[in-house]
Amino acid sequence: MGFDEVEILLVEDNPTDAELTMRALKRKNLANQVAWVKDGAEALDFIFAQGDYCHRNPEDLPKLILLDLRMPKVDGLEVLQKIKAQENTRKIPVVVLTSSQEDRDIVESYELGVNSYVSKPVEFDEFIDAVSTLGLYWMLINNPPAV
Amino acid sequence: MISNYHHSPVLRGSFAIILFGLGLMVFNFYNPLDFSYFLNPGESYSAFLTFPLVMGMAGSRKRFLIVIPIAVAIILIILQPLSSTLGYDISDSLFRLISLMLIVVMVALLSERIEKVRSLSSLNEQLKEQAEKLEDANQELESFAYSVSHDLRVPLRAIDGFSRIMVEDYEETLDEEGIRLLNIIRENTKKMGQLIDDILLLSRAGRQEMKEGDVDMKSLVESVYREFDNQTEGRKINFIVEDLPPAYGDRALLYQVFSNLIGNSIKFTRNKNPAEIIVGFEEGKKETTYFVKDNGAGFNMKYINKLFGLFQRLHSPEEFEGTGVGLSIVQRVIKRHHGRVWGEGAVDEGATIFFTLPHENE
Repeated sequence: MGFDEVEILLVEDNPTDAELTMRALKRKNLANQVAWVKDGAEALDFIFAQGDYCHRNPEDLPKLILLDLRMPKVDGLEVLQKIKAQENTRKIPVVVLTSSQEDRDIVESYELGVNSYVSKPVEFDEFIDAVSTLGLYWMLINNPPAV
Repeated sequence: MISNYHHSPVLRGSFAIILFGLGLMVFNFYNPLDFSYFLNPGESYSAFLTFPLVMGMAGSRKRFLIVIPIAVAIILIILQPLSSTLGYDISDSLFRLISLMLIVVMVALLSERIEKVRSLSSLNEQLKEQAEKLEDANQELESFAYSVSHDLRVPLRAIDGFSRIMVEDYEETLDEEGIRLLNIIRENTKKMGQLIDDILLLSRAGRQEMKEGDVDMKSLVESVYREFDNQTEGRKINFIVEDLPPAYGDRALLYQVFSNLIGNSIKFTRNKNPAEIIVGFEEGKKETTYFVKDNGAGFNMKYINKLFGLFQRLHSPEEFEGTGVGLSIVQRVIKRHHGRVWGEGAVDEGATIFFTLPHENE
């Protein structure tokens, strides 16, 4: 898969959660163009086409970013802040997808301009349902601004 | 602080004064240079009298001893006309005695006051230190709860998810027993997820900042009951809410209280037809007592001391599911409102949980 075809960027440090998320997206046939990065630092490299991703075309931006909050190196809130601070990336819809249900995380995410905040359900059916629904909504139902 | 008081400078100072007084007394009797002291016993009385006086001032609980020198002074005044017949005048020594008494009283009072201020300020400092320590501990607890909510859920989701995927993807190759075993794994994951959620609720009930105001208890109870729609559907339950008076407290926390109590009643009346749940009250002078009463499985009063214990359960998980956290949450919330909680029950006859909430100005 070439980097240019990426539609969904999944930022998730936990491989099992990443696999479950992919599985949920697959149910709606949304898994083909997902790129998975394992922490905030890699996410920033990917989005801004730097570091390991310096050969990527910085004009090709994902249509949706699924962002975990607690990650090693650079955490989700920092990634969110950087995405929303840049003119060319701030229009990308960012959905926080996290285990945290803490009020302060929710408040801070919205203050930084998150487009949606979803707490990962523990129960498998609910999890699959939540992720596939939000994938469907942001990729097919929602009308994004023209880039 | 009380126990330290026995070694306080006041007491040590008092001993010094006592020794000084005793020395003065001995000196008065045996002063080789001035025999007039010997001829004037009133002077030595004064030294004598400092003894109970100082003792009286030293320990604040022995203040009544001050009465002794005063009484002696009064006796001396009464005896004054008599003393002149004995050959000497004690009015002069009486005057000295009274001035000495005043000085000692003043010094003792002053030093006690100083000591009090000093111990108060050190107490203040200790309090401040304790408050800081508590704040730290609270912070630690909060971040612990945060980690629990995040870190424990992740592996749990994996266990639940992958055992489910196993059933989905390998249904053909797995036999019935294999699927049964995987389902046991999933059931237990669910229980653990519930446990984590409940512990988090409990920790929140304890640390969340209270937003107090007037709470319409009747509508609160009714909205709680509606939340249980999916559990009450198809059952015959006589749910009665009396005209509960409004309470003063934190609405969200009181919601938690009724959610646990009514949830319990719905759960434990599962085998009754019809089930009966009454939410009532009794108005008191300084507080209102609210109660939730049901005709469910009840409990043996022998185990009443376990009723509100964390993770304590009075029923087996086969009879009634649960984590044993609910009534702990109730207790914690009511305690934060300065109220009391207690329960009454009998096996198979039902249970009643009471709690009080003080009136706003109490």
